[in-house]
Amino acid sequence: MEFDKKSLLKLGKLARISISDDKLNNLSKDLNSILEFVDQLKEIKTDQVDPTSNSLNQKLEVRDDKVDTKNSAEDILENAPEKEMDFFIVPKVIE
Amino acid sequence: MVAQMIEGWNLVIGIEIHAQVNSKSKLFSSSPTDFGSKPNSQVSLIDAAMPGMLPVINKFCIEQAVKSGIGLNAKINKKSIFDRKNYFYQDLPQGYQISQYKDPIVGEGFVEIETKNGQKKIGVERLHLEQDAGKSLHDQDPNFTFVDLNRSGIALMEIVSKPDMSSPEEAVEYVRKVRSILRYLGTCDGNMEQGSLRADVNVSVNRPGNQLGTRCEIKNLNSFKFIHAAIVYEAKRQIKLIEQGESVNQETRLFNTQSGETRSMRSKEDAHDYRYFPDPDLLPLTLDDNWIKGLQESIPELPDQIKERFINEYSLSSYDANIIVSDKATSEYFEDVVKNRNPKLVTTWVTGELFSILNKKNLIIENSPITSKQLGELVDNIENGKISNRQAKEVLEEMCESGKGALEIIDEKGLSQISDENEIESLVDNVLNSNPENVKKYKNGKDKLFGFFVGEAMKLSKGKANPKIVNDLIKKKLSQ
Repeated sequence: MEFDKKSLLKLGKLARISISDDKLNNLSKDLNSILEFVDQLKEIKTDQVDPTSNSLNQKLEVRDDKVDTKNSAEDILENAPEKEMDFFIVPKVIE
Repeated sequence: MVAQMIEGWNLVIGIEIHAQVNSKSKLFSSSPTDFGSKPNSQVSLIDAAMPGMLPVINKFCIEQAVKSGIGLNAKINKKSIFDRKNYFYQDLPQGYQISQYKDPIVGEGFVEIETKNGQKKIGVERLHLEQDAGKSLHDQDPNFTFVDLNRSGIALMEIVSKPDMSSPEEAVEYVRKVRSILRYLGTCDGNMEQGSLRADVNVSVNRPGNQLGTRCEIKNLNSFKFIHAAIVYEAKRQIKLIEQGESVNQETRLFNTQSGETRSMRSKEDAHDYRYFPDPDLLPLTLDDNWIKGLQESIPELPDQIKERFINEYSLSSYDANIIVSDKATSEYFEDVVKNRNPKLVTTWVTGELFSILNKKNLIIENSPITSKQLGELVDNIENGKISNRQAKEVLEEMCESGKGALEIIDEKGLSQISDENEIESLVDNVLNSNPENVKKYKNGKDKLFGFFVGEAMKLSKGKANPKIVNDLIKKKLSQ
């Protein structure tokens, strides 16, 4: 898989990460080498294996429908870069 | 008006319903799901997407999704997969929504709706489980958007229809029917005002015989009225565009509830690219045959079956049965009252007088000021002739105001109807004897005076005489 600059810019945009022009070349090279490395997995024959099945042979863990969260608004907002009243605040978003 | 607008055009409508699972805690965290709590007071470290937090699925939510699937006559998938739907938005701390993409928990099904041309089957494409997002407030500050994550991570069932609806009325009926089924099942409370059930509507128009038009999606409609209005507006807008030789852009639109218009929400270059992939934090969900069977056996009687039964058991018309079963609480109320009583009379009093009182007071039947037992007592007194229909309306209103029982009010107001023939006969004689002129005119052919005699007799009895006996007696006497 080839990761060109256009795709890189699009990915950056989707993640809201700005990529400056001088970094484009290096980043693109880095990403491509990562992809090449991962591409080795394609050499394994997987036509007999169910997608996303796991090697541990475990079932999905479930929990009962019980409320058990003790965080207060104050606790959770302590991690907020900016807050007001009981809200997280972010730069104005206009749809 | 709608029919006129559509003339010469086909409408094709598909709907995605987001129904909040009626669970106490969220889909992948144990935070509460209460409505209207203090902002950010129901947010766990998982909901806020703190690093290292792992989702653990709520068993109850799986059950509700499967039950809903059964209620929608749908295929239950024994293996389903949770995927990450990636997008960047301030109400989504994870940066992705956990949803189901290629392998949903519930596959194809259908619901039946009533249309003006009879029953129609609307296909259901799928039902899948996913997380709700948080809530953004844009109008609190000129420079900032406020974010409340209480809703973030609450379990939703997204129910996707096939594009089988061809009018705004059918679309509304479909949503009503799905809502009703979910409420009977108890899997979603269906409260649209609080956002427990919302609809995204896909609309396209085309000329009969031509290929399908380009569709637009109108997001987040939270009332039947808005669903109807948004479809009408959107269809008109698209028809106008095409008639002017322009084309419809495939896009997401928002409905403005104030102006009744839709407007474009996202421009094309910002079109989302969700980069779905299976969530590595969650293993595939597998369901056991016996477990599914157990759920199937726990499914209560659903509206279509109850309707059938009401028609057979109580000889209700299809129309009346439909009104009564469309809401679970109403059908339970009706059944409480109708036991050992005249179904016709009970139907009239429930769908007529009781509904009109509830409407006037803007109440739902669960909060009816008249209990089913109280209404039953009132109906008993009509059935045994103690009070007339008209008196019963008066009694019902008084019951509503005072909370007293029917009998108590009848006694207090001395309303009880006179059904004693001798007593009424003396009233009638009195009226006829005091109006000899009119009796003569009547006998000479002035039929209209009959009402006059009845009116006088009723007046004399202060409205208490049994009108049927009064009528019969006057008829008898005047023909002598």
